[in-house]
Formats: sequence, structure tokens, C-alpha cells
Amino acid sequence: MIKKIYLIGNPNVGKSVVFSRLTGVQVISSNYPGTTVEFSKGYLSLGGEKIEVMDLPGAYSLEPTSNAENVAASLLREYPKNEIAVINILDSTNLERNLLLTLQLIEEGFPVILCLNMCDDAVHKGVHIDIEKLEKILGIPVISTCAVTGVGIKSLIDRIREALPVERQKLSYEERWKEIGRIIDEVQHLEHRHHRLREMLEDASVRPLSGLFVAAGVIYVSFKVVRFIGESIISRITDPIFFNFIQPILEKMAAHWNEEGFLFHFLIGDLINGKIDFKQSLGLLTTAPYIEFGMVLPYVISFYLILSLLEDIGYLPRLAILLDNILHKLGLHGYAIIPVLLGFGCNVPGIMSTRVLESKRERFIASTIISIGVPCVPLQAMIFGLLGSFGGFYVGGVYLVLFSVMLILGLVLNRIMKGYSPEFLLEIPPYRLPPLHMLAHKLYFRIKGFLVEAVPVVLIGVAVINILIYFNIFGIVTGIFAPIIHNLFGLPKESIIALVIGFVRKDVAVGMLMPLGLSAKQLFIASTLLAMSFPCIATFIVLWKELGFSYLVKSTLIMIAISIIVGTLLNLALIP
Amino acid sequence: MKKISLAHIKANHKGKVADIAGGDNLKARLMNMGVYKGREITKLSHIGLRGPVVIKAGRSILALGHGVAAKIILEHE
Repeated sequence: MIKKIYLIGNPNVGKSVVFSRLTGVQVISSNYPGTTVEFSKGYLSLGGEKIEVMDLPGAYSLEPTSNAENVAASLLREYPKNEIAVINILDSTNLERNLLLTLQLIEEGFPVILCLNMCDDAVHKGVHIDIEKLEKILGIPVISTCAVTGVGIKSLIDRIREALPVERQKLSYEERWKEIGRIIDEVQHLEHRHHRLREMLEDASVRPLSGLFVAAGVIYVSFKVVRFIGESIISRITDPIFFNFIQPILEKMAAHWNEEGFLFHFLIGDLINGKIDFKQSLGLLTTAPYIEFGMVLPYVISFYLILSLLEDIGYLPRLAILLDNILHKLGLHGYAIIPVLLGFGCNVPGIMSTRVLESKRERFIASTIISIGVPCVPLQAMIFGLLGSFGGFYVGGVYLVLFSVMLILGLVLNRIMKGYSPEFLLEIPPYRLPPLHMLAHKLYFRIKGFLVEAVPVVLIGVAVINILIYFNIFGIVTGIFAPIIHNLFGLPKESIIALVIGFVRKDVAVGMLMPLGLSAKQLFIASTLLAMSFPCIATFIVLWKELGFSYLVKSTLIMIAISIIVGTLLNLALIP
Repeated sequence: MKKISLAHIKANHKGKVADIAGGDNLKARLMNMGVYKGREITKLSHIGLRGPVVIKAGRSILALGHGVAAKIILEHE
């Protein structure tokens, strides 16, 4: 009687794809190990019965050496062995390494069924596996699948009930590897293949010199493509909608209201030259949706599209290797590049993914660096929109300042914080072309996550700002802080509002700088300060949750100190 | 037969693992990923002076930190 089905396998064997095929639940599956320390649950109907399916974190072995393996091994032992079925998913192109876990599962007496996934990939690579022989040797059912296209999934489901415990002698590690060697000799036949383009690229990207060229190329092209797609969406889709469709409707509505009244101020904002200006009016129906959907969302879509693509192709671990040297100097592991890259989309998932780092020290350094030095897509989109008109020099300057701050901060934190940064020990997955539907699902979830998080905050934020401005409450705050920002940073006192708003949403805050008519220098300083100072409220909460209160306080103090120092230095160093 | 650490052997050279001069946890982690005494591995590259080392063990490509690579002693011709 099966009450529960477990999916277990090494990282990068397409486990999540099999899971979504079995349960119909779409989960985010990535091509790099370590990100799925959380496990997913779903249901499979087996002969009219609904059975829970649990997707365990990737594990190389039942004798755990990492957090993910710990979780997997303990979840697996939750139920009595006669009430479960274990689907062990293997990468057909790397049978040898995958069989270690399989032998352990059988030896421990779990009822196992093998799912040799990525069978199409194996054929491409000239790997042939004799399924019947493998079944005979192991004494358990073996099914060849290709989860991406769905091949073999039906027979996998049909045969789940055949998963039964078999007797097998317990072996030591050395004996087990020898046994695996014998099994491989019998069931696997390798066809000699010449190096093809994919292998050549895989190779080039992990060698020092060619690797740096590949990395520079990949980063440059990604950046260009993100900008191109973002701009195309804006000029072809969102701007026409806002200007040709929404603006006339809003202006017709506005004609019926009293321009001095609260409602007008609240919903439409100020008219600029007698017309609604989506960037400057600052109303709940004008600027709020325009910033989110007309300026930020297009870039969020293009950024996550490119990042997800790089992730699923399997490029990111290679980038991690190349950058390990530099990141070690900052007290981090090469792998920290993944949270940093995610942080460029939005700091929240960036900081959450610092979970892939092992020590608290690393997580603190990475999270602090991300919240100070990594501008999120919304902020970047606004900086480009605003500073870009003064020339690329200023935009580049913001990045340069942020990058330098990150480097210096990392070097200093690495010096003063006790502890160590752990060594690399990582499997590099082969390059794979991600199935488009999986890419689309991942993109959909990421964009949905962004919208759910951002849209309410933006609306509430703009609403609160409008109320505060209307009743002139900001006047009091401005009075207190104006001398500081005026004398230290050379900014006009009205910009304090924008800096405070930055705590709610960075993109809205940059938007609020627009009507102030700042000079290029002032705008440059204000943008840099907005990027470095307090993270937005969502990031703040995540920092608290992930690091705890005392680290949050430390992180915040560092942020305030750095913002004051850098703001003042920039003001003194730059000629207006 | 000469003994040399994985950190010192040149790229594109093969060797048989003679010893892993590390703690039990490191040994277990390497063992789980298919690097163990007697196993033949190929060094693919070495990033920078003290950077990570990329190796091929069987059909897997693994990246090891410099410190880990220094602890893996190889026998080679």
C-alpha cells in the first residue's frame, strides 16, 4: 500500500521536470545545484487514488555531507518503508556517478524504481545503456525517460507499484565504487564521438584565458540584449498603450474634476503645461502605473528572460569558477555570484538565494554587499531613464561608484569579520538547451512574483506620498534633515522626500526627483545615494528574516555610514 | 611513478588518486562525487594562481577550490 512517493536523485538530473510531469504542478527548476533546498509536494493519481509526491533536494549520497543531503536523507526516513515508493532519477549521460545513490537506496531496503532521465541527451552523446541488463543486475524496475518531452513518463507511472525492496549486501564505499565499475562495464556502451561545438564551448568557458573572453562576451551581449528587449517593449507596446489609449481617457475624466480638489490631486496629480505627464504628475492613476508598467516591467521581463536562459543553459556555475579568485578576496565563494546576479533583478530574491552559501559570515557579507552595491532592475531602469539624458558618462559613473563600494566593503568585511570562506566543491553541469515551456514557466513565476510584491507597494506608496504632500507633512521632515543633505550632499531640500520615499520603492523615489529640476551632478549624487542607502522595505524585511535582528542592525549601520561618506565625497570631488 | 598534488600537476594531465590528505568530511564529499583513492582523474584547467581547479572524473566535470586540490595527491607517469 503506497501512501507516499519520493523523488530522489543527484543535482541536475531533471528531477523537477519529472516532478512537474508526474503531478502537473509547475515548479521552478534550475540548472544549478543547491537552490532547491526547499522541497516541493504535489499529487499523482494512481489507479484512482491520490498519492502525495515529494520532490527531495538534490543529493549525491544517503550519507549526507551538505544541508540539502541532510534534508533529503531525513525526509526519506519519515515513513515506514512498506508505505512508500522511491523514484530514483538518474542522468543517463552520467550513469556511473548516479549509481552510487541507487546502490545505497537498494542496500538500505527502500522500494526503488529507477528512472533513467535525459535519454535523448544520452543518444546525442553516444551513450547506450542496456536497460534490461541493468534491471536484471539490480533486480528493480528501470525505465528510460525524457521528461522534457514526456517520453517514458507513462510507463514510469504504470510501474510505480512494482517498486519493491530487494536483498542486497551492504558494501563499503570502496567496494561500492568497484561494484559500480563492474555494472557500468556490463550495461553501458560508449560510442566514440568527436568533440562537437557544445563540448568545445564547455571546455573554453572553464579555461582561464578563453573563459574570461567567454565571460566578457556573455555579460556584454546579455546587457545589450536586456536593454534592446526592454526598450523594444517600451517603444512598441507600453508607451503606445499609455500615450494613445490611457492618456486621452484620463484627460477626459480629469476635465470633470476640480483641479484644486483632493481627489484630483490624489488620482491625477499635477498637470504639467495643462496636460497629464506620466513621469511627473505623481497621481495614483498616472505616475504610479506608468512607473511600474511603462518603465520598470519591460526591463524586469527582459532581465529575467536572459538570466533564466543563462541559468538553464548551465553557464552560471562556470562564471562562478572564473570569479572565485576575486570573490574569495571579498570573503565569498565563487558561488556568491548567483545571489549577486539575482540581486540585479530584485534584491529580495538575491538575498534569499544567499542560502546557497554555507556560512553565516558569507551570507552576511553577500547580503550587505547586495543591498548596498547592487541596484535592482526598477532602480536601474529609472536611472537610465533619468540620468541617461545627461549622457552615458553619468550612468556609467553610478555603476562605477557602486562597484568600487562593493569591492572595498567586501575587502574590509573580510578582514574584520572572524571566520573563513569555505572552498569550492561543485559539479559543473553540461550545457543544455532548456525546454522553452520550462523557461516560459520560470519567467512567468518570476514576473508574477515581482508584480505581486511591487504593485501594491507602489500604489500604497504613491497614495501615502500624495496624502503627506497634500497636507504638507513632509515640511516637518524636510526642516530637520534639510541642512544635512544640503550641506553634505549639495542636494536641494525637497529631495529629502525622494530619499525617504526610497525606503518604500526605489523606482518611485527616482521618479520623484524628476520634477525637482536637479543638475546632472545633483541627480548623479541623488541616484547613487538612493542605490546605496536603505534598501526598499521588502529587502529590509528579507534581510531581517534571513539574517536576524542583530545582523540587520549591523548591515543598516554600515549602509548609513557608507551613504554619508560616499555622498559627501562625491559632492566635494565633483565639479558642478 | 611520481606523486604530485592536483594543484601542481599541469592542465590536460591525468593521474590516479593516491591519497586524499584531508578530513573525513572532505573525503566523504569527494567520495560521493566520484573522487576516491585509485580513481583516474584528468585536470582540465586551473584558474589563476591560487584559483579553483577543474577536473574530469568519469563523465563528471567538477570544480574544486585550490585548497581542496592541494590535498589530492596523484600518481602519474
